[in-house]
Amino acid sequence: MPGPGVAAYLIISVILFATGAFGVLIRRSPLIVLLALEIMLNAGNLALIAFARQTGTGSGQIFALTVMVVAAAEAVVGLGLIVAISRRHIDLDVDKLTTLRG
Amino acid sequence: MTGAAWIALFAPAAAVVLIALAGTRIPRRAAGILAAGSALVSFICSVIAFVGLLGESPEERTHFSTLWTWLSAGRLQIGAQILVDPLSVFMMLVVSGVGFLILAYATGYMHGDAEERRYHAYKALFLFSMLLLVEAGNLVLLLAGWGMVGLSSYLLINFWHHRASAVAAGKKAFIMNAFGDATFVLAIFLLIQRTGSVDFRSVLQDGVVKHGSAVAVLIALGLLGGAVAKSAQVPLHTWLPDAMEGPTPVSALIHAATMVTAGVYLIVRTHVLFELAPAIQDLAGILGAITILLAGVVALVQTDIKRVIAYSTMSQIGYMFVAVGLGAYGSGLFHLMTHAFFKALLFMAAGIVIHALSDEQDIRRMGGLGRALPLTYRAFVVGALALAAIPPFAGFFSKDSILGAAANAGTLGWILWGAGAIGAFLTALYTFRLLFIVFWGDLSPFAREHVHVKRFEGGFAMAWPVAVLTVLSVVGGWLQVPWGWSLVNDWIDPVAESAEEATGVTFTFSVVASLALALGGIWLAWRLYGRPSGAPARVRKRWPWATRTLEHKFWFDELYDRLFSAPAAGMAVALGRDVERPVFLASLGGIATGVRSASRRLSTVQTGFVREYALALAAGLAVLAIVFILVT
Amino acid sequence: MTNFIVWVVWIVAALSLLSSGIAVVLFSNPFYSALALIGNLASLAVLYLLLAAEFVAAAQVLVYAGAVVVMFLFVIAYLGGRADAPWAGRPSLQSLAAILAAGAIAVEIVVVIALKAGDELSTAADIEDGFGSPAEIGHLFLGDHLLAFEVTSIVLLVAAVGGVILGTAIPEESHS
Repeated sequence: MPGPGVAAYLIISVILFATGAFGVLIRRSPLIVLLALEIMLNAGNLALIAFARQTGTGSGQIFALTVMVVAAAEAVVGLGLIVAISRRHIDLDVDKLTTLRG
Repeated sequence: MTGAAWIALFAPAAAVVLIALAGTRIPRRAAGILAAGSALVSFICSVIAFVGLLGESPEERTHFSTLWTWLSAGRLQIGAQILVDPLSVFMMLVVSGVGFLILAYATGYMHGDAEERRYHAYKALFLFSMLLLVEAGNLVLLLAGWGMVGLSSYLLINFWHHRASAVAAGKKAFIMNAFGDATFVLAIFLLIQRTGSVDFRSVLQDGVVKHGSAVAVLIALGLLGGAVAKSAQVPLHTWLPDAMEGPTPVSALIHAATMVTAGVYLIVRTHVLFELAPAIQDLAGILGAITILLAGVVALVQTDIKRVIAYSTMSQIGYMFVAVGLGAYGSGLFHLMTHAFFKALLFMAAGIVIHALSDEQDIRRMGGLGRALPLTYRAFVVGALALAAIPPFAGFFSKDSILGAAANAGTLGWILWGAGAIGAFLTALYTFRLLFIVFWGDLSPFAREHVHVKRFEGGFAMAWPVAVLTVLSVVGGWLQVPWGWSLVNDWIDPVAESAEEATGVTFTFSVVASLALALGGIWLAWRLYGRPSGAPARVRKRWPWATRTLEHKFWFDELYDRLFSAPAAGMAVALGRDVERPVFLASLGGIATGVRSASRRLSTVQTGFVREYALALAAGLAVLAIVFILVT
Repeated sequence: MTNFIVWVVWIVAALSLLSSGIAVVLFSNPFYSALALIGNLASLAVLYLLLAAEFVAAAQVLVYAGAVVVMFLFVIAYLGGRADAPWAGRPSLQSLAAILAAGAIAVEIVVVIALKAGDELSTAADIEDGFGSPAEIGHLFLGDHLLAFEVTSIVLLVAAVGGVILGTAIPEESHS
């Protein structure tokens, strides 16, 4: 295949994943957390597509499409939650949303 | 014939069930009549069985009869079976006959008691258990009867359960008997291991264990343990005097005539096993001899009328143990029968005295009752003469049969003979001490106040059984007359061949010597107690230490208390304090508290911070990745 | 020649991918973060094209960049406000641990890939022309992976219903 090998794509995917994870762990605004979450999902997608190209089967692409659907659904629900929270005049700060504590 | 035996067995059981079910719907007296009636039925059936056996030749007088297979465990099959043979019929006659007389007496004695019906039900239960014991055709059924007589004894000793002393006495009797039951059961286990069966036909064979082997000794020892406990021989004798807390008819039936003789019956029935371990058979004789002397001596200082008679029972059973220890089974059983007659007579007469004095039993308060209760006095005299073995009364023939066998049995036999002879002296002494103190002299102040005499001195119901027993105490001994005939020995021979008695000069010497000692005892009692004299008090002052030992019954009770009951009680308290409360009770609370605190500490992990949860996930992933790298 | 072009395109796309990713995470204004996400998604689409997944690339642009990010932008516009910068506040144990964890994950997996790069990941399979085309995807969805197809449609339905419910529920009395 022309261009760099599959390994390079995978390495990029990992670095992107780590970036997304870092974002989830470090940001306090739930909106940004959701965005970082999207980045992580996309990193996974990239890895899937790379492997699909490497093995020559299309299942990886199907999987990636399914992930995309799920990510969209999750974004809907997450944003709905954020809207509901802000409607109740609660601070949009992940550290303050702690009622579910043991 | 076996049918009659079955009816004899189940008649009292039916009486118990009927009395229990009828409850308070029947009048009190009816319960007593029901119980006594069932005893009469048993006696009639026993006579029928006896007559049936008479019609057969001695070799074929063994009939087994099984109703159903009671227990079945692999190879071991235990049937509900009875055995009708000379020995069991002999015991059945004694038990049901004397039992009937005492149950009839009890309808008068217990008249007016608040719980009379319960009493008669228990009495009938006892009769059923005792008949089961003597009729059983295998060891386990015998054990069942054995245990049930222990139970009936317990129930009847603490019949007046609101009396603390009665309750304690009942417990003591039951626990001591339980010890004997345990050794008995161990012997049964050994036999099952050897023969795979408990049927008398397989177990009581001559070659079942090797003669003199350790197993034989263990089996015989186990059986002896049970017999010693049930018959109140030394060292398991301390329960019998306390058992006098029960009503007098109970003492008469259970602790004189029947239950305490069950040990003797057991030894005769399993004599084959004892003959396979001669050391243990000798031990039985020795224990009997010790008991004769110990009980005889202690009876000299007793002040309760029933306790004197109780120690006398212990002593007389010692004679029976001496007999079976020497192999003179017929003599032992003969003495069992005559003893049942005159001992029951003595107890019943004592019961009339106690009733007449409104339940007073201390002889120091009695005196001169011969004038107030002449008929009872005469009955008591007959019983005392029989007990002291004066001819022609019953005890003379049976006791001399035993002493005659002892004289013929070598060195050990002569030692046992010596104990028996001294025992004859003691028996006469304490018996006539009792008679003189209670019946002679002037009416004591207490008696003058309290005595009340009914028609026939105790009511008709109490009088006629006493009369019957008086007659039996006179003629009962004539079944086996020296230099004449020996009906009892001949009857028992097919089952248990008796040892030879002495003949000729030895025998004459034995008879004359024991008679002389008995008369000597009566003379001494008359000297000390016949007239009011200070002699007993003087004797007591000269030997205070001996007096105290006798009064404390050779300190057996104190010894057992120190050895067994105090440590057991202490252990119970210690276990309750150190094990039960901290370990079991506290652990319940402790477990709950522990779980709660652990969960509280664990729940601090859930802080509610989403970022921390995410961090945990990421860290976990990192760790897993390292593991993955290292592993593959 | 094609190889060279492919390499150039790849390097540009990769760099823009990583930089836009970092931008999403580090901007304090959520609006800028969302815009950076669009760049991220576009770079990804380019990479997909290089990997012969045309349909997926198109779907990526249409669905992700076109619908999901637009949804994000709507919500951000509705809520307004600024988020705190990530470096605001004291450096806490949480932030330190976050850096470590993310770094560790990255390093470890890169190491794994590097180790394996020699053997299994060295060769890519030969593919035909129709690989990654809509026809191929359609065959797979309605053939081998029919169950996934159906289940994802249910997921979408549930998400839609959930979104509506979350959006229209009347708040009882505000501050909880």
